[in-house]
Amino acid sequence: MNIPVPGGDGPEIVTQESLMLGAAERIARIRDGRVAVQMHLSRLRPQNRQDGHVRIAMRMLEPVVNAYRGQMFLLGTSDIIFLLKDPAVADVNNLIYKVRALFSKDPLTFSDSGDGRDNFCSWYDLQDNDGYNDFLSMARDATAAARTRAREKTAAKAPPQPMDAHGLDRLLRGLAEADVAALIRRQSSMVITRDAKAVTLFQEFFVGMADLQRTLAPDSNLVANRWLFQHLSETLDRSVLKTLANLALTRRPKAISVNLNISTVNSRTFDEFESRILGHTDLFVELQILDILADSRGFYDAALRLKDRGHQVVIDGLTEWTLQFMDVGQFEADLYKVNWSPDLVENLHRDAIAATIAAIGPDRMLLARCDSEAAINWGLNRGIDRFQGRYVDAMLAAYTMQMCDKAKACTLAQCTARHAVISGPLRTECGNNDMLDSSPVMLAPKARNRQGDA
Amino acid sequence: MTLPYDRPQTDRQKAIAQHLPAGESLLLEYLQKLERHRQGRRAVLARLSSLLPINRRDQHVRIAISTFEPMIKQLKGQVFALSNADLIFIFKEVALHDVESAVVKLRFMFSEDPALGNEGIGKRASFFEWYQLERDYDALLAMAQRMLDDVTEKRTQAKAEAAPQRVAPKPQRRGNALTPSMLAKLEDALGGADLANMMRRQAVCAIIGKTDPQPVFHELFISIADLRETLLPSVDLASSPWLFQQLTETLDRRVLALLNKHDDSTIAGDISINLNVQTILSPEFLVFDDNIKTATRGTQVLEIQKVDIFADLGSFLFARDFAHDRGYRICIDGVNMESLPFVDRVKLGIDLVKIVWSPAMATGQLPNGASIEDYIRRCGASRTILCRCDGQDAVDFGQSVGITLFQGRHVESLLTASQKQRSLFARRR
Repeated sequence: MNIPVPGGDGPEIVTQESLMLGAAERIARIRDGRVAVQMHLSRLRPQNRQDGHVRIAMRMLEPVVNAYRGQMFLLGTSDIIFLLKDPAVADVNNLIYKVRALFSKDPLTFSDSGDGRDNFCSWYDLQDNDGYNDFLSMARDATAAARTRAREKTAAKAPPQPMDAHGLDRLLRGLAEADVAALIRRQSSMVITRDAKAVTLFQEFFVGMADLQRTLAPDSNLVANRWLFQHLSETLDRSVLKTLANLALTRRPKAISVNLNISTVNSRTFDEFESRILGHTDLFVELQILDILADSRGFYDAALRLKDRGHQVVIDGLTEWTLQFMDVGQFEADLYKVNWSPDLVENLHRDAIAATIAAIGPDRMLLARCDSEAAINWGLNRGIDRFQGRYVDAMLAAYTMQMCDKAKACTLAQCTARHAVISGPLRTECGNNDMLDSSPVMLAPKARNRQGDA
Repeated sequence: MTLPYDRPQTDRQKAIAQHLPAGESLLLEYLQKLERHRQGRRAVLARLSSLLPINRRDQHVRIAISTFEPMIKQLKGQVFALSNADLIFIFKEVALHDVESAVVKLRFMFSEDPALGNEGIGKRASFFEWYQLERDYDALLAMAQRMLDDVTEKRTQAKAEAAPQRVAPKPQRRGNALTPSMLAKLEDALGGADLANMMRRQAVCAIIGKTDPQPVFHELFISIADLRETLLPSVDLASSPWLFQQLTETLDRRVLALLNKHDDSTIAGDISINLNVQTILSPEFLVFDDNIKTATRGTQVLEIQKVDIFADLGSFLFARDFAHDRGYRICIDGVNMESLPFVDRVKLGIDLVKIVWSPAMATGQLPNGASIEDYIRRCGASRTILCRCDGQDAVDFGQSVGITLFQGRHVESLLTASQKQRSLFARRR
């Protein structure tokens, strides 16, 4: 790989892109036998093109670059470009195939552009005038784009750093003093009834991580370190339960849902909370896969205990991957919360998901994070009738406004935002808290496109 | 310090190992046999334990032992490697000159160490101690007995740490809870600490029927018990499982850094190390991969915790495919009987499953009612390791359900016993 030399001649910013352009220009007269290959890693999903992934892709390509007097460039977009002289095409293809296989979990590598072109990698035959000109103009565009990015970058603020143990310590100290109620968010889930109505299944209460981060740790990314975040969540559990035990809503929700750690279910805080809601509010307890795996023994005890007391056990945070690699039905839970993602539709997952839904039963599934009609539609077409997410939030706000006598003063976005909090100025701004806490019966959305699967 | 008679790395070392009885118990046994053959025998004690930790790593001890090798081959003497790294060489007087030159070599080898520099100053014991069996036999015998007692006692104390503890130790009521601020200090301290002397290795062995255990590979890990004792004796690590998990992740990275720093034979041969998915994707791992390639490459197993795998399956699959492409094998670690039903080895594309032994497994059933034997059959007998085998019951049970690979304190002692037998046999010949 070429390392950009800072402080080169003139004010020109040296980037991998400009180095690549330089290399392209230098070979203008000696193009015999030269080819360039562009690996379009920029087209991968962001989670699949993190530094580690890209670094390994480059490592995989090194042998061929070394073997054919090549040069490799890593662009700011994560695209990898390498130039080769007289390569054995089979060798190169072989390696590209290996890299492609590494990224085979991303839709890019197996999706079809429709015109027979490869989305993952492009070849430039530099010997050919057209091929060379294409490469040159690509390099020019990339150089210009890199320059713009560099300028924007200096203006932008540094991204938050992953929270470390020091940061967690500070955060926990801050949390002890903080008004937790102001950080608690509410989101309703809905279930579609036989008579084509949509009614609220439960109101979920949780700590808004973005708000927590903004308030107590603006410079750090709370979720970047998984283990420290899990530790933090145990503290948050207790704060949430204490706040909810004294919840002051004008209408008490019929059912509430809370995200808890297994250790919390076995704590005195939970017992106290339970005694406050017992008899008038149904309780759903959402447990995370990660927590269950870390303490499977504790999970079985906790699940048994919750069921004994008539609560519902929910498995939270299932994805297309967990459904594929794990027999989640074995958790014997009352409800399975699957996060919607456009990837659910991909062929790669289709069979595994169909099998899981069939095994568990669609009436024990809840599709969460539904942010579009497409999400709801996908679920409906698979027999799922429980939903949660921004799309449901908007539906609920729309129905609320339809029935609210103060609605003229508000927008849909305002009503949605006010639904999501349980205290603070946002809530007091609303002229009708009673309406805000009501759970209006809605008309069920209709499934469309039953054949189309999209 | 690990046991100096670790798995031999080269043919030469293998040859040494043939002549290398194991530690204190063998020394005592040997001395007892010499009761009637005291005449004309001498012994020299090399106090390697007084060296600085950086000077008494595995490789140093191995080299020190090899200094005596020619005399062992000529059957002029026996070397005993004690668990504190000290060496005792018992020899016939005819070899005195050879032994003296070996001692000179050792002095030279460790001449930079204060233990030799300050020798004889004040009341410091000298680095080498000489004995004549005719005169000092009883004293030597008593010393060997005392050392054996000490070791036995220490082993009992260290019971809890015998198995590589990837999972937080059982709750201890004593000690303060591990807090984020303590973890922060600990991680800061780990950044500069030399952990080489806390590195341990433990064999994963094939045990078929009543035959002796055959080491298949060795797991390298940092002793949590030693670490705790050195850095935070009053802290209960089990109190915060997630913080403990973060600590092990930091330690795993330190092991990798340690292995990258030393181009010794630690990484040669068949080994396994604990890594997390993010570390496999890190630049440090690529350096490790380069080093491994230049070392004689045996089987390298990467052990990944089950929680780490399921926390981000997408990243895991990427790391898995890369590691497989580079010839590593992947082992899922930390699986207990409760989480076993969720681990589908074939689906996950993993090579090995490490199951933590628990006496509750003896019923033969998993908590969901499924049969353990069926699970092992589906998983593959050669693909399953039963770890933390503290007693013969673990091995017996494992064998009854078809498991052939075992690890743990009991396996270590079986291994030691078989090596002892082999060396006795070799001597008789």
